[in-house]
Amino acid sequence: MAIPHPREIQLAVVNWLDERYPFTKAVDEALYQRVPNFANAFYYCFGGMVFILIVFQLLTGILLALYYVPDASGNPAPAYTSVNFIQNSVYLGWLIRGVHFWGANLLIIMVLLHMARVYWTGSYRAPRELNWIVGVTMLFLILALALTGYLLPWDTKAYFATEVTIKITAGVPIAPVATLIKELLQGGPVVGPPTLQRFFTLHVFVLPALIVLFMYVHFRFIRAHGIAQPM
Amino acid sequence: MSEEKKEGPGAATATAPKETPIIEVDGHVGHTLEPDYKRLPIGPDHILYPVVVGLALFPILMGDAGHHLADDMPDEDTHPFFPDHFWPYPIIAIVMLIAVGLLSAYVQKNLQLEPSADPRAVTIPRPDWYFLFLFQFLKLGNEFVFSIGIGTVVIILLLIFPFLDSALGPRVAKRLGWKKWPVPGRNIITGSIFVGSLVIIALLELWALAGPQFCVPWFVNSPVCGA
Repeated sequence: MAIPHPREIQLAVVNWLDERYPFTKAVDEALYQRVPNFANAFYYCFGGMVFILIVFQLLTGILLALYYVPDASGNPAPAYTSVNFIQNSVYLGWLIRGVHFWGANLLIIMVLLHMARVYWTGSYRAPRELNWIVGVTMLFLILALALTGYLLPWDTKAYFATEVTIKITAGVPIAPVATLIKELLQGGPVVGPPTLQRFFTLHVFVLPALIVLFMYVHFRFIRAHGIAQPM
Repeated sequence: MSEEKKEGPGAATATAPKETPIIEVDGHVGHTLEPDYKRLPIGPDHILYPVVVGLALFPILMGDAGHHLADDMPDEDTHPFFPDHFWPYPIIAIVMLIAVGLLSAYVQKNLQLEPSADPRAVTIPRPDWYFLFLFQFLKLGNEFVFSIGIGTVVIILLLIFPFLDSALGPRVAKRLGWKKWPVPGRNIITGSIFVGSLVIIALLELWALAGPQFCVPWFVNSPVCGA
């Protein structure tokens, strides 16, 4: 029996899919949808750049998580030594960590530029108000990611910066509320191993999941409304 | 036109029906799809078709397209998503990857670890650039008012801005005798608010960057120094 050419196999698969779902039609419609020419302006790329950077962050974050140990007990803590190991011993670890770090900085710049473009050109106007709200929420999620990620290396700078952040966040004048916020974030009377555990959970599980969810909603809105014309 | 059978990569595209389908959404008849002769010859039998399908999956997963502005525009004012609109993005991705790679290699200052965290150490932290203006702002008055109070108000204003713009804007325009309420890019009020906010943020950032030796007399907590 002759071995079929890979092209024939691919065609057979596509035909099989086409018989069950308008596969090629859906692909064609998605690919060849018309886009207004004004969307070619460079400042319309900022949103796409944010998406690309979020993908970079997710990928490099996964690679960093292979070596990172979220344990702050002892001195030096395993969290600190694992980051040191990534930075100095793991093959290309310095590059992955560097891309994650600088990618986060670039991401914040791009989100701000994207928001500035949306504001300046009035792209938040009806019917896109909800998408603006989703976008603003994503900005805060990204800032929360930056904040929670800052503590993970568990060095002196990270420790004291987080202490100040928690102090500010828990600055509510109502004592029980302040105590509750502090307790929730710190997981104890001072910044310590439970704090790292909580920030790690937020940084690695909760916030990325929310970002992906909000990105999905953001893109669904864009797909439904199309690209806004500058007014 | 001869209907001879073609072979080889792209044959499926080349021999596809000449009549191109029309995108119909909610009864709205939009543009015809890009005619075959204008498309890249990547049909279902082409080796790169899985890549193209991968690209198409993204919009497919994002649900049905609504009635877009492009549907009502003449063909010459629009272009197809693939490859005309898509092509800059892979290039942008590579350029950004190279940029952050070079930064990782040559700007090590912020990446290097300080000694392991020790609560007994005495350190005055300085936040990263994106929180620096906020850090400086908090020094300007009562900590609660400036952090939780003003912070919450700014967040709420930012979230509901489109509704404020559409509800209050036309009234302000009417009072000023304007024909309409323009977008911030053409609006002296919302445009100035935006530029003014940027100037304030930039000044706070510079103030913080000037360092703890740079102190300015202030109404409250005087004098206030940089970070």
